[in-house]
Amino acid sequence: MNLFGVMDVSASALKAERVRAEVVAANMANAETTRTADGDPYQRHHVVFEAEGAESFKHSLVNHLGGSGVGSMRLGRSVTADTSVDGGVAVTGVISDASAPLRRYDPQHPDAGPDGYVSYPDINPLTEMVDLMGAQRSYGANASAIQAEKNMVASSLDILK
Amino acid sequence: MQVTTALSDALGRYLDLTGEQMKLTASNMANVDTPGYKTQGFDFEQEFARQLTGAGSTGFAQPAAQDVDGLVTRPDGNNVSMDREGIQLAKSQLQFRLGVELLKHEYSTVMSAIHAEAK
Repeated sequence: MNLFGVMDVSASALKAERVRAEVVAANMANAETTRTADGDPYQRHHVVFEAEGAESFKHSLVNHLGGSGVGSMRLGRSVTADTSVDGGVAVTGVISDASAPLRRYDPQHPDAGPDGYVSYPDINPLTEMVDLMGAQRSYGANASAIQAEKNMVASSLDILK
Repeated sequence: MQVTTALSDALGRYLDLTGEQMKLTASNMANVDTPGYKTQGFDFEQEFARQLTGAGSTGFAQPAAQDVDGLVTRPDGNNVSMDREGIQLAKSQLQFRLGVELLKHEYSTVMSAIHAEAK
């Protein structure tokens, strides 16, 4: 953890919540999609979040105090966006829900089967809306955490004055 | 006797590099809708070490910007993440303030030496 360690953790949460909101939006957009590339109706998608290298605060503090001071210079490495931050969160995958499609009788529909029934994705707009609100709230909370962290660093700069 | 110290020289380079980083972040943000644009960045620690080893009269060595890997690429080939850039910008701003405060502190010692007679 460096000066901006807390910020990196909150940033990973912002990224993850944005992906979650995008997946919910895709689910809502495709709530009536009866046809995808493989010919089946659209399947609802979920994101899977995973904690990254979660350590207790005490453990990392002791590590920090007892460990080596400055990290050795690693030369010639490429720049990577921190995909895994210790204590942060990462989206490990987007999996599709295997629930059975809803069957509705509509013989006029181009995707109707021989029995006149059409398979629609089992997507409830209410469930999706609640999920979207959750993502929105979490995003806001993490943005506030970043703001707090910025104020902390700014206060530490005021000590110099 | 010179006013410039090793620390103020290093801080000057630190500020220059932070400014470069802000420039890259701003251009990444500007190109958020440009198809095929790839996020540009450089390794701050590594570049700063290079600036310090080349210390003396060489001046500011332009850091080499490269593509940042580990980002999600959208269908139009663009991989700019607004979240990453926003955080990056906040970090650079704080880094810049840190450098300026330390530099002010450094020069205030010289100023107090100048004003010592008047006290």
